[in-house]
This record gives sequence, C-alpha cells and structure tokens, in this order.
Amino acid sequence: MSKIDLFTLEIIKNGLITANEEMFYAFGRTAKSPVIYEVLDYAVGITDSKGELVAQAPGVPGFSGVLDFVAKEVVEKWDGEISPGDVYVLNVPYKSGTHLNDVTLAMPVFYKDELLSLILNKGHWSEVGGMHFGSWTSDSTEVYQEGMQLPCVRLYRDGKPNKDVIDIILENSRLPEHTLGDMEAQVASMKVASKRIENLIEKYGIEMVKYSMQKIIDDGYKLALINLQKLPKGDFEAEDYIDDDGLTDEPVYVRVKVTIKDDEFIADFTGSGKAKGSIASPFPATVSGVRETYMAVTDPHAHLNGGYFRPLKVIAPIGCVFYPVKPMPTSTFWEAMSYTTDLVWKALAPHTPEKLTAGHFLSILATILGGVDERTGEPFAIVEPQAGGWGAGYDMDGESGLVACGDGETYIASNEVYEKRMPILVDRYCLNIESGTGHGKFRGGFGVIKDYRVLCNEAYFTVSIGRNKFPPWGVAGGTNGTPNYCVIYKQGEEPKIVRKVAAVKLKRGDVVSLRSGGGGGWGDPLERDPELVKMDVKNEYINIDTARDVYGVVLDPKTLEINWQETKKLRETLRKKTKS
Amino acid sequence: MVEYVCSTMGYRVGIDIGGAFTDLVAYDDETGDFVWVKDETTPQDPSIGVLNTIIKSKVDFSKVFSIIHGQTLVINTIIERKGARVGLITTKGYRDVLELQRSNRRDMYNFRYKKPASLVPRYLRIEVEERTMADGSILIPLNEKDVKEAINKLLKEEVESICISFINSYANPLNEVKAGEIARQMTDLPVTLSHEIIREWREYERTVTAVLNAYVKPKLETYLEKLEKEFVKSGFKRIPLVMLSSGGTATFDFAKKFPIYTVESGPIAGVIGGIYLAKLIGEKNVIILDGGSTTTKASLVENLIPRVHTEYHVERTRFTTGYPVKVPVVDIFEIGNGGTSIAWIDEIGNLRVGPKAAGAYPGPACYGKGGKEATVTDAYVVNGLINPEYLLGGAMKIYKELAVKIIKEKVADHYNISVEEAAEGIIKLANENAAYAIRVVSVQRGYDPRDFTLIAHGGSGPMFAPFISEELEIKKIVIPVIPPGVFSAWGMLTTDIRHDLIFTEIVRLDKEKAVERINTIYKELEERILNIFKEEDFDVREVITLRYADMRYYGQEHTVKVPILSGYIDSSGINTIIERFHEYHERAYAFRLTSPVEIVNFHIVGEYKVKKFELKELNNKTYSRDDAIMYEREIYINGKHLEVPVYNKQKLSPNITIDGTAIIEDPTSTVLVLSSQKAVVDKYGNVNILRR
Repeated sequence: MSKIDLFTLEIIKNGLITANEEMFYAFGRTAKSPVIYEVLDYAVGITDSKGELVAQAPGVPGFSGVLDFVAKEVVEKWDGEISPGDVYVLNVPYKSGTHLNDVTLAMPVFYKDELLSLILNKGHWSEVGGMHFGSWTSDSTEVYQEGMQLPCVRLYRDGKPNKDVIDIILENSRLPEHTLGDMEAQVASMKVASKRIENLIEKYGIEMVKYSMQKIIDDGYKLALINLQKLPKGDFEAEDYIDDDGLTDEPVYVRVKVTIKDDEFIADFTGSGKAKGSIASPFPATVSGVRETYMAVTDPHAHLNGGYFRPLKVIAPIGCVFYPVKPMPTSTFWEAMSYTTDLVWKALAPHTPEKLTAGHFLSILATILGGVDERTGEPFAIVEPQAGGWGAGYDMDGESGLVACGDGETYIASNEVYEKRMPILVDRYCLNIESGTGHGKFRGGFGVIKDYRVLCNEAYFTVSIGRNKFPPWGVAGGTNGTPNYCVIYKQGEEPKIVRKVAAVKLKRGDVVSLRSGGGGGWGDPLERDPELVKMDVKNEYINIDTARDVYGVVLDPKTLEINWQETKKLRETLRKKTKS
Repeated sequence: MVEYVCSTMGYRVGIDIGGAFTDLVAYDDETGDFVWVKDETTPQDPSIGVLNTIIKSKVDFSKVFSIIHGQTLVINTIIERKGARVGLITTKGYRDVLELQRSNRRDMYNFRYKKPASLVPRYLRIEVEERTMADGSILIPLNEKDVKEAINKLLKEEVESICISFINSYANPLNEVKAGEIARQMTDLPVTLSHEIIREWREYERTVTAVLNAYVKPKLETYLEKLEKEFVKSGFKRIPLVMLSSGGTATFDFAKKFPIYTVESGPIAGVIGGIYLAKLIGEKNVIILDGGSTTTKASLVENLIPRVHTEYHVERTRFTTGYPVKVPVVDIFEIGNGGTSIAWIDEIGNLRVGPKAAGAYPGPACYGKGGKEATVTDAYVVNGLINPEYLLGGAMKIYKELAVKIIKEKVADHYNISVEEAAEGIIKLANENAAYAIRVVSVQRGYDPRDFTLIAHGGSGPMFAPFISEELEIKKIVIPVIPPGVFSAWGMLTTDIRHDLIFTEIVRLDKEKAVERINTIYKELEERILNIFKEEDFDVREVITLRYADMRYYGQEHTVKVPILSGYIDSSGINTIIERFHEYHERAYAFRLTSPVEIVNFHIVGEYKVKKFELKELNNKTYSRDDAIMYEREIYINGKHLEVPVYNKQKLSPNITIDGTAIIEDPTSTVLVLSSQKAVVDKYGNVNILRR
C-alpha cells in the first residue's frame, strides 16, 4: 500500500460509517410507526463477511449489542448458501436479543461472487400477533404468547419478496398493513447503505474497501486496548435486587463480578437468580446492557464496532434472569436488562470516578394512559417513559430529570401538546423536591413529579415501575437516592401508592401522580461546601432543617447567611456521632 | 413615511461581523461602483470593528441610503454566558420547565452527561396562580397579587430583565398580557412575554426562547443604540436595518425588542445572496457552501426558496442538545472544518482534521503569529495551492517555511512521509469533511446532490468545492464574481424587509369547520403582520404576504411546511392544499397515507420588497485569457509536482474557458480547477466549474 493510500483509507472508513448513518436517517424518515421515528426504537449496522461489526448506529443505547448476534446467526445458519438479493428475517429473542416486536433484517452485499458484508436493520414492529394487541405484554409465561417467531428465514430471494414467508407474517399480524409498511421501510433504508458501499467499491476498488473494513475493526481493537490501560485492574463486585420476578412480588437477587485485565473486560453474572415472568433479559440484550457501561467507562464517543468490543466478555448462567432459554417469555426484557448496565456501573463507579456517577433512578417507568376522547369520539393514548434523577459524580451534583440509561435521544413529550391532543390536564410538571435525593459532598439530581388529571368520562392507566423497593445507590459515603412510585387519586377514595398496575379504570377528575426518584449522592454530606448548601436552600432544593441535620450547615433563617462558627461545631459533633 | 429604500441614489452598505473579520461592502446602484473592506473583529466592543471598516472604506455615508447589519453579539452573549440576570414568572406547577427541558440524553453513553444549564436559577423562577386551557379558555384567572409579589421579589434580587411565560399562552395570551402590564407598570426593566416572541406550542421551547430574548436584550439594545449614533455621526441620515435569521431584514427598533430573531445573521445572508445569484444565472436548485476559517456551512435551496424552519438550536452538536430557539431561521448545517482547522493524529495513529481550529489568532503556523499547530491553510501553502507569498491581496504576509516545518513535525515525521504527501493528506480530509456537510443537507434529507448546482463562497469554500463536486458527482460549481470572502456581507444587499408570524392551532381539513377557521386565521395573521409594518412606517400597499402551513397526517408527529394559496380558500382550495401536502410529504418521507390531514401551525411571511440593484454584465472588460495569467506556480497534487498557470479572477472576461489543472485567485480566495474540470466565465464574471 502506498503512503497516500493511508489517507484514502480514512476516507473509505468515513464512507462506510456515513453509509450506516444514511441508512439510519433513511429509516427514521420513511418509517410509518411513531415508535420508530419518535422513540428511535431501532438500530442499524454493517458487518464484514464474517458478521463482525464494522459500524452501527443504535437509536437507543440498549441496542448497541444486538446486531452482531443476528449477523453471526445468518452467517452460521446459511453458510455457503447466502446469495445476492437475499434478505433474512429474525426475531427469536434468545438469538436476536430483545423481544418478538424487535425484528432484525439482514441483507448481504456481494462483489461479483464474493460476500463482502451484511447490512442489518433492527426495528420495532407495532404488531407481531400474540395474546394481546401490540404483542408485548407483562403477563406472559411463555414466549408463544408474545407473538410469532421468525427464525432467520429468507424474507427476500433474488431481490424479490418471498411471498411464502411474507404471507405467513401478515396472516399472524393484527395490523398487517402496518407490519408490511415497517418491513418495506427497513428494506428501503438497507438499499441506501448497500448502494453507498457499491459506490465505494466502484471508486476505490474491492481490495481497498475490504481493507478499510478490516482497518476499522483493527483500529477499534487498538483503541479499546489503549482505553483499557487507563482503567484500574482487578475484580470488582456488586449486588442488588430487582423489585420482583415478573409474576409474584418476590425480589430477584442479582450480582456481577467485573474483571479488568490489560486486554480483557469480563462481566460475570454467576449467582444471579431467575425470573418467572417476562422481565428476563435475553443473552444478547444482557451483552448490550453491559456494552453500555463498557462504552461509558472506556470512551463514550468511540466508534461502535466489533474490534472495540473484542475485549469484552459476558458470562451468565443459562436459565438465569440474564440468560433465559426457550420458552421463557421476554416481553418486558428491559426490566432485567437495565440491571446488567447498572450492576457493572455499581461495581466500577467507586474506582472510575471520572467516568461514572452514583446510581440513578434506572427504571424506564413505562406508562400508558388511554381512553376515548368523547369530544371527538376518537381513542387516545399516552405511551411514554418518564425522566428521573441521576447520581452525583465525584465533582458534580447529579442531573435532575433525565431519561434512564436504557433511553438515549428520547424526548419527553410537551405537556402543551398532550393537553391539546388529549382530554388530559397536566396539573404540575416539576422537580420531585418532596421525595428528596441522595445526599453527599455532591448530591444526586432530583426526580420528577407529573400529575395527569383525567378530563374524559373514562380512562385506563397502566404503569410498570422498577427501583421502587431498592433505591439508587450512593458512593463513597453519599446516601442512597429515593424510590420511584406512583400515587393514584380517585375521587372519594384514599390515595393509593402503586408501582405496577395494569389497566386501572379512572374517571373524570381523577389524578395519577408519577414520581420518579432522586439519584444517589457521592461523598460525605458533611464535606459539602457550605456555600453550595446555602444555594440549595435558597433555590429550595433542600430546606433549612436538612441543611442543618444532614449537611451540618447552620444558616440564618431570614438572610440565609452561613454561621461559620456554628457550622464548624455542628459538623464536628455530627462526625463524632457517625463514628460512634 | 420614512424612506428606507425608496431612493436609489448612492450606496447600499452591508456590514457583516464574523469571528475573525468584520466585512463591509458598498455598492453604488447607479454606477455599479463596488467597494469592499475587511478589518479585524473587535470582540470586546464589536462597534469599534464596524467603525474601522467604515473609515477604511472611505465611503461618504451621507450618500448611503441603506445599511444592513449582521452581528454576532446575540449568539456570542449566549455562548459566553454573558447575558443579563433574568427573572422568570411561570404558571403554578411549572417552575422547573427550564431545568427539566425535554430530558433527552443526546450523548447516550456518557453517564456524566449534563443538560445545558438553566439560564435562570431556581430562586429567580417564581410561580403565580393562573391557568389557561389548551383551547384558550381561562380555567384560573391571573392572581394579580401573586404577580406583584413575584416582581417585587425579583426586583429585590436585582434582576436586569424579566420574562413571563405561562402554560398555553400560545392559545390565549390574556393572562400573560395582564401580567406583562403589571410588570411594565412596576418597573422600567425590559419585559419579555413568551407569546410576543412566538405563538407556537411546546412550553419548554417557547419559554427558553423567550428567556434567551430577555437574556440578550439589554446588551443588544445598548450596542445598537451606540451604532445608530455612530452612523449618524458618519453622516448617515436614514434608519439602519438588521439582518434577521429568517433571511429578511428589520429595523434596529425591532431588533431591540426581539433580539433573538437575529441569532444567526452573516451565514444566512450568504444563503440569500446565493439565491439572488442563482436566480440571475437561471439556476433553481442550489446548494450554497460557505467555507470559513473555522467552520463549513451548507444550505440546500429548492426552487429558489430558502428553507425557513423553527428547529434551530444554539450549541447543538452531535453530543450536546443545546438550547432550542423557535424563531424562523434559514436551515443551515455547520461543521467544524475550515481554513484554520487543525490537523492532528489521534490515539490510534490516524490523521484527523478539525473540529478544533487555530482561528484568527494565533492562526495557522504560516501566519507567523505563533501558531503551533498544523492547519489546512499550512497544507495549502506547502503544496502551493494558495499563494505562498501573501494573502488578502498582500495585506497578510505568509511564511512558507513555518508551514513546512510544522507539517513535517506534526504529521510527516509521524508517518515517515514527505511534507507534500502529509499536506495532501490534510487537504483530502478537509475536503472530505466539507463533502460530509453537503451529504447531510442533501442525501440525509432525501435529495440527490447531483440534481443541484453548488455555489461556493467564503475564504475556503471555493477551495473545497472542486474536490467535493468530484466526490459527489456535482455537475456545476459557481464561484461568484463577488469576492467570495465578502460574499455574506454582499448577500445582505440582496435581502428584503421581512416579518414572520407563526401560530399553533390544530385544524383537521376533513372537518366541516375547516374552511371558515382557516380563512379566519390567515386573515387575522395578515392583519397582524400588516400592522407590524405599519407601526414601522412602511407603506403597507407594498407589502407582499405569503402563507405557509406546517401540516401532517392525523395521528403522526412530524410535519412538513407547505405553501398555501392566497385569498379566500373554498373547499376546492382545501383539496388543492391536501394534494400539495401529499406531494410534499412523499418527497420528504417517501410515502403517503390515507389518514386525514391537519394543519398544526399557520405561518405567514410579510415581505417589503426592496428595490434591488442589478449585477452588471461585464461588457467593457476585454481581457484575453493570457492577460489574466499572472504567472505559473509549482503545486503538488495527486502525488506529483506540477507547474500550473495562476489566473487573476478580477481579469477574467466572459466566455473565457480555462482547462484544469489551473489556479484562479482573487484577494479573498483561491480556486483550484482540477485536471478533470474546466472553468468557464459567464457574462457577469462568475466562474463556472464544469466537468470536462
């Protein structure tokens, strides 16, 4: 290779990454389901001929690990038979990652007779059959209840739709037109990427393109090793509980041992318990969840490719909550999956303060509020995650009101838009000051309160709240954060605190109040700068009593001036108290 | 009636403040006399730089009949967090809107992600009792006592600017208006009411836009007042205009009230100038590329109409969400890649260019001002692509030996290659970055760049363009006859006075009441917009109004902007609108639905057309091609040394054809015509670069 080619290689590398980005935007633009173009519940990627990731663009961080599993499944299952014009379809959760609604398509790219690459697109289909409308559900006990399974079969052959398979799919969907639309948009976007790769071959030659793919992966591995060098080495452990097992009220014990070596990053979940309901995280989702923290702790801006992930190994015993096997249900896989991210995070946070914060509210807080708007006779539904409090860092307070780690560029809807479109009044949308947050030298961010008042005759409310029994964790003497919960105010009844309810009937004037928790604190609250405590009181984040009792800061109730002498005395007393 | 634009005696002046330079152009409509000057921008007090250009230009300002000014004070005040201390009054239950924002995590693997900080601390955000419903009805009337207490508290805290933003005030601003009246009675501080800035839904976006307005208001007011006085001192007798982000202009008084409408100006003027040029030469679909010293900007224009949207953000990057600013802004994409972008080697040993830049100071190493980084300009100098002796027509000395030294140290030695090879690598990557900007505004939005003509300006735009057109198979590039380095300032001379009103109301077009409602809303908006012109003393008979609507399929979220018929719209007119929506939707999103269609935002544009000059044809210039050759220069390209002719762009007469490889220079920029290309000069002196 000549010296100038060195820089041409960079340009082809950029070309491959841009091809993937363009597929990402093309799908977002042409998809007909709001869950695709609003929630960005999809991911696209390009692999080499062996199924190794060259580039990927996940819309949500939780999708960072699921594409290569599918690529490898295609390469293994169809070894020697993959032909130009094929498109494969796969949604079996144990192999492709999440739940049956997430359907991955794979399209091979050929140069003459040679398989060069696979293009992948994983998108949420609105309907894949199963026991309930919309397919995913929290009351399934077997995967068969959650919809149809597509076991890596040919959706297209010779560039044409494979009618046999497509007819089966459409027959099993309650919304065949939507399903077909989602599928066609996926295929169209994949063609954008394949065209771009073909252009690169035309322009620079097949050898240069192949070499560039390899270089992306090699560079990824190189960068990963450089970044691993910066991490502390050794074993790091953490344990926790998931609120319930998906079916009963029993918590599930979970644990991890993270081992970091010069060239390895191992997350071992051995010892974790089992799920009974649909909360289990299929192994590819477990890997995805760990990859999130791996990215956070190594380099959040690194290109996601097979080389970068090569040092990462994930171990989970077959059958545990992080490695369900057929026919275990996985519809609400995110409940357990979020813990894979959080456990590794918890194990490493005290040792990598520049990268990680204390624990955050974690739960997606999936909320559904729907009914019929009698002004128009039309049905309405709010389907959304909630924001909450994030943990403190070693040098900063936690952020208030951010979406959980499983969500990324996900926007919480505007209340004015809701009020205009639905018979709903949002009485308040503010920081959850009353629940408070984790205290520390730096305090956690605050959760959120959102009060929905129903303005129609009848509405139904469903919510799934995690981290209700076991709050976000503090670090280095910082206290734990506060739990997520929900209060239902029905007229003429006592307010009811809940964490998981399905289809509760509400009447005009009833209110549901969603309350996410505050993040964990970092460091000893008695070391917090009294000026910051004073500002917290002035800003009404905390009151003057908390300033005194928790932070040992004595303020003048009128002027909020710091009484330095009293503060010093009080802090000494409080320190002695904690020691004894 | 004031004479803003009626007379055409004398000069029209555009003054554009950029990051490094303040540019002034003056054009005499009668004689075609064209003056341009550049002087250093003075960030501490930008009016000093403006005055310097005025003095340097030697233009007699008593003979100037219009000044159009583009400034960066608004955006810089926000970026540097040097705005006023703002107090915010909100609806009870909504104190934390600025802090909650939309809760998205744009930098999704960064677990230490921080949202942009609230510009108003919590103790300066005060709730009052009031509530307006989404349909505009008042559920709870304004508690005036609460407002008075809130204002007293804010005054005690010594705020410098007050903002009031209530829930659903877009639907009915009554409570906000009342609160505003109380505030204005109680204090002389500037008061910003959210509905006065925009009438669109989404409480966070509207509130933050209003707060940003309040935040920059005191500063911009002071600056414009000072400038006005200076203009008068220079002999200028009329009312100066500011460049708006929407691509139009407005009076200084308007900008003092609504400074946030000027958040972007210079680059926008470049787009408007590009459209003027496109129209003149018979092009309809163009991409305008503005290559500056630190950034490259691209804007796609279809059918000569700039894409004006309200999705602008300050400080938005790949990893930061920034502040939304819901005022009309011409759609421009920007990346950190320009003439002073720094070349560096990343941790794994790959060469990268940008986004960091050396800027004007210390600048590229070859400026000899102490620059210690290898930049794109250094690479150009090393390979002879730009004049290795001087820049800006001799105003700036270049030290080639410093460029060679820095590229050797920073890049060539690392790879053990020659300095020329290293420089070529830097140039390739910078071109690639610029091409990416074009891909974003075209391919990512569903357009094929091959269907567009590229107009390239800015100091480095003409340098990137020939490479980009190779890469993206663009058939034609136009390098304007106007010196590309002052094209944005020149673009200001091609703008019209403009106001926009956008109003959110959902109207489903399949409902019976639609006809009546649509006509009523447009009529009201038209009256309102004419009133704005009237208050500014314009002859409203000269105002043209254009209607648009943001429309979507019922049940979907994303909208497309559709031009709407003027006059009374009957039911067949509604059908035309629906059909037009289907077309626009299909182009943008590649599909149609059978769902009902609804209007979400009513948008009206009022334009007071300014009498424009004509770019003169070059009849009297009769230089031959050889007359335009200045000398031959050795350059390094595609791994080879080559002697190429260097042409003086100012001496290129119409119809001259120059085959590549060749260089065309003017004092503000350089064009490299590649071996696969030829340059053809049109009758105005614009250089068209075509494939051979």
